[in-house]
Amino acid sequence: MSVTIRIIPCLDVRNGRVVKGINFEDIVDAGDPAEAAKRYDIEGADEICMLDIDASYEARSTTLDTVEKIANQVFIPFTVGGGIKSVQDVEVLLRSGADKVSINTSAIINPKLIEEASKEFGSQCIVVAIDAKFNGKNWSVYTHGGKNKTELDALSWSKNVEQLGAGEILMTSMDRDGTKTGFDNNLNETLANNLNIPLIASGGAGELNHLVDAIKIGKADAVLAASIFHYKEISIRKVKEVLKREGLDIRL
Amino acid sequence: MKVGVIDYGASNIFSVVRALNSLGASTKIVKTPEDFKNTDKLVFPGQGSMGSCSKKLSENNLRDSLIDALNNFPFLGICLGLQILFSESEESEGEKGLNIFSEKIEKFSEFEDRTVKIPHMGWNQVEISQNHFLLKGIKSNENFYFVHSFASKEANQNEIFSKTFHGEIFNSAVGKDNIFATQFHPEKSGKSGLMILKNFLDWKI
Repeated sequence: MSVTIRIIPCLDVRNGRVVKGINFEDIVDAGDPAEAAKRYDIEGADEICMLDIDASYEARSTTLDTVEKIANQVFIPFTVGGGIKSVQDVEVLLRSGADKVSINTSAIINPKLIEEASKEFGSQCIVVAIDAKFNGKNWSVYTHGGKNKTELDALSWSKNVEQLGAGEILMTSMDRDGTKTGFDNNLNETLANNLNIPLIASGGAGELNHLVDAIKIGKADAVLAASIFHYKEISIRKVKEVLKREGLDIRL
Repeated sequence: MKVGVIDYGASNIFSVVRALNSLGASTKIVKTPEDFKNTDKLVFPGQGSMGSCSKKLSENNLRDSLIDALNNFPFLGICLGLQILFSESEESEGEKGLNIFSEKIEKFSEFEDRTVKIPHMGWNQVEISQNHFLLKGIKSNENFYFVHSFASKEANQNEIFSKTFHGEIFNSAVGKDNIFATQFHPEKSGKSGLMILKNFLDWKI
């Protein structure tokens, strides 16, 4: 008896539609977000994540509509990320139906945001998302959806945000994202061994074994995947059955 | 029937309101002592630390009305809404809880190898220790969603309704008379969670 490994399908949303890119580019359409969320819930998703990948100011009301639509039919934890710059942005999302928000670029530009938002709404709803790429020595953190390289390294940055009050880390390997070659287990294990807060592994899921490895080798507490679930390549139910057979604690 | 949802000023109450509304319940946000009027049941969905919750309850003059309501209304505490019912918490030494349960809320034990993460976040099994109207239709060891760093480890046996394991055993549901409280989030626990909320709506005392 213990806390189960979470399987989190992620909806990358732009203009109210699910899209998915490869290595952060090449966007293709993959359907209606609310319908996808509902299907995932029925299939046994442990949480739903939605990333507003456009997140422009003009598209904000569409995003909030989508959040509300999803929240009205899915009663499992729901994380929303993309374009969050202030405590007020966090509040608006929570009001629209998000349970947690995922903050990426703004956390780097203004680390105080993590502190203020977690104080205001509790650490449980503040996820810090990190996009990073291996540089031969460690993992460099990037901002703006992988466009800009920073001086930060993923391990020290994740420990820093833990101190600031983040409740979880959503770690995306830019080297693996969209490649379907498996998660970056070295990266994830390095973080997991040094953090007390839960780690969500993201980027690279292509087959079932990748998810098993992310947990067993990468020591992730949760795995997030987008495309393998969208195109019904693998159902969440199937994933969970396999993980359970592998001896992992899974909610079926 | 109107369900009052307590908003003491530092909590995400929206998910709870949404879940109750989806079950057909009409809800009212309770922010001031006057708001308790015309409510028939109360839900307290707390988040954050017990200290700031306790302070805000006093600042917003909610404490006395709440204690009064705890004697009369069917009451459901969720997460921090469970913890605030205890006398005090290790999270905020010196701040007083509502003392419905005389024991203390404690921090989870930390483990060197970091195999037990804090906060305890995710779905975990709820082992039912005694029947309760609100647990009707729920099987023992079903999974519910948790997010918390502190827990009730000691309580009166008669008042414990379920237990859960996260590195150690803690009380995941407690109750007494018209009061029931869960450490997990029924509003975020899919069908099983909605079942508990539905039972709460049907609960007559």
